[in-house]
Amino acid sequence: MKKLNYGSLPSKSKIWSTFKEQKYIQAFTLLGVVFLLIFAYIPMVGIIIAFKDYKLTSGFAGFFTSRWVGFKYFIEFYNDVYFWPIIRNTMVLSLLKLIFTFPAPIIFAIILNEVRNNKIKRVVQTVSYLPHFISWAVVAGLLFSFLNQQTGLINQVLVSLNMVDEPISFLAEPKYFWAICVISDVWKEMGWWTIIFLAAIVGIDQEIYQASIVDGAGRLQRIWYITLPSIKETIIVVLILSLGSLLGGGLGGSNFEQAYLLGNTVNYGVSNILQTYTMTVGLSKGRYSYAAAMGLIQSVISLILVYTSNYFSKKISGSGLF
Amino acid sequence: MRKISREDFIVDTVVYIVIAFVFLVTLYPFYYSLVISFNNGIDAARGGIFLWPRQFTLDNYKAVFSNDQLLGAFFISVSRTIIGTIASLFATSLFAYGLSHKKLLFRKFYFSLLIISMYFTGGIIPYFILLSNLKLINSYLVYIIPSLITAWYAILFVNFFQSIPEALKESARIDGANDLVIFGKIIVPLSTPIFATVALYMGVYHWNDWYSTAFFTQNKKLRTLAYILIDLINRSDLTSILRGGTTQKDAAIAMQTFTPETIRMATMVVVVIPIVCVYPFLQKYFVKGIMVGSIK
Repeated sequence: MKKLNYGSLPSKSKIWSTFKEQKYIQAFTLLGVVFLLIFAYIPMVGIIIAFKDYKLTSGFAGFFTSRWVGFKYFIEFYNDVYFWPIIRNTMVLSLLKLIFTFPAPIIFAIILNEVRNNKIKRVVQTVSYLPHFISWAVVAGLLFSFLNQQTGLINQVLVSLNMVDEPISFLAEPKYFWAICVISDVWKEMGWWTIIFLAAIVGIDQEIYQASIVDGAGRLQRIWYITLPSIKETIIVVLILSLGSLLGGGLGGSNFEQAYLLGNTVNYGVSNILQTYTMTVGLSKGRYSYAAAMGLIQSVISLILVYTSNYFSKKISGSGLF
Repeated sequence: MRKISREDFIVDTVVYIVIAFVFLVTLYPFYYSLVISFNNGIDAARGGIFLWPRQFTLDNYKAVFSNDQLLGAFFISVSRTIIGTIASLFATSLFAYGLSHKKLLFRKFYFSLLIISMYFTGGIIPYFILLSNLKLINSYLVYIIPSLITAWYAILFVNFFQSIPEALKESARIDGANDLVIFGKIIVPLSTPIFATVALYMGVYHWNDWYSTAFFTQNKKLRTLAYILIDLINRSDLTSILRGGTTQKDAAIAMQTFTPETIRMATMVVVVIPIVCVYPFLQKYFVKGIMVGSIK
């Protein structure tokens, strides 16, 4: 245990009497601490099974008693037939979301800020983050309905406008999968993250704008030279956050949900990602050590991403998260 | 007064087109689901319904609420939302109340444990092994116990409790009240905003959660409505949707009015409606929550 500092060095009996005085609040806190130790710290210790041959029947003791196998499962993963497709799919999906989902709320916040009618502005903003609170189960349901080949609204519109000859089976065609994921992610999360950027914009000193108007700056110039630089810090913080969760799908963290709910045997070639494969191997096939190794790889990459992006943001702009 | 310049005009036009687009694209899918859910299924399959039901019917909802499986899932969702939310409010607020005492012995240590747990996790596989060893897999309690304390909400509580004037607690203590009494009689009544915020967060989580059902249970009786929705997506034949529950005769009659599509829409509406109903409250509190979170 780390050195604890309770002011001037107290004697053991002093600590004990203070502890007894605080019996209720100590009891409340300790219940919470026990909960954390069980539900957060036991799994952390459990990562160790990535280097062991763990069997579920061996219980918690198995974390320690199972046989060490070193990097066996990491090597097996590297040699897995799905290794390269998984790496590609995970990276492509994550990067596409970084490119599209990350800037969307910034642009939308700037656009909303240009709305002069406050009532319209508030109504649109309030509506825009409703999808954030809707389960991916519902969003998947909506996608299935709208993209349905026979009855889907999108196909009805495309056919009636003569934009396609035959209705398209969007969810059965691998080539549409990434686009569907990115668009639905933007649809679901853009409004929510707009809140942060809009708050940053509202915080900008209005006098700067007044001064620029006197100097003859147009609206686009004001956006480019005042609004954007003023919210730079917020943009960087959110960028670091989304880089840290890049593999999970960035801001929305929706890679798993999308790949799991929209994935099927036809688009498996593009929808099979690290997280879904971990579930297949771990929970469906019961190969816990192998799956834990894959999970560990993901955690390590995420950690590296957070630290490097933080490092570069400090170098470039002088500010970072930590 | 300044003139409306060419640039102003163009910017305004673009701005209003974009916000109108976002407004419609966000709301229309929900509206469309509502319309289809009130329409005769066979008729809906012909397409061409955009703004209003063509053959209005309540059959889809009758089918949803007369099907044992869907009804069971509805009750599981409602009960876990109520029980889970109350239990986690209780656990998280008590834990936070303890932590909020500045003179609490070992406070730094407890806090470090809490903060570290926010940044590092063991991942899903060790977590599954934990639940399995605790015999929580395939148990209703898997919906309640693991979400009892959420580190982030605990911190929201701590911040709020610490903003309550120390003098109030002191005077109660002089009157002979112990910490438990102070918590119940003074802290809780003064903390309704934070309780409301966290209750809404937790409620939405419980209502929307399909993940625990999909990966931590196999028992059909433990299925939640959100999970059933996914199940419905993956089925296209009515018999399997309606298997169990409605009698053969009902199913035969029903066959003529609804389709998997309209049943799915009706279920979706049932899942979304509670969220839309609490949304006005949500957005008031949530925005505060996210602001605190982002500035941290």
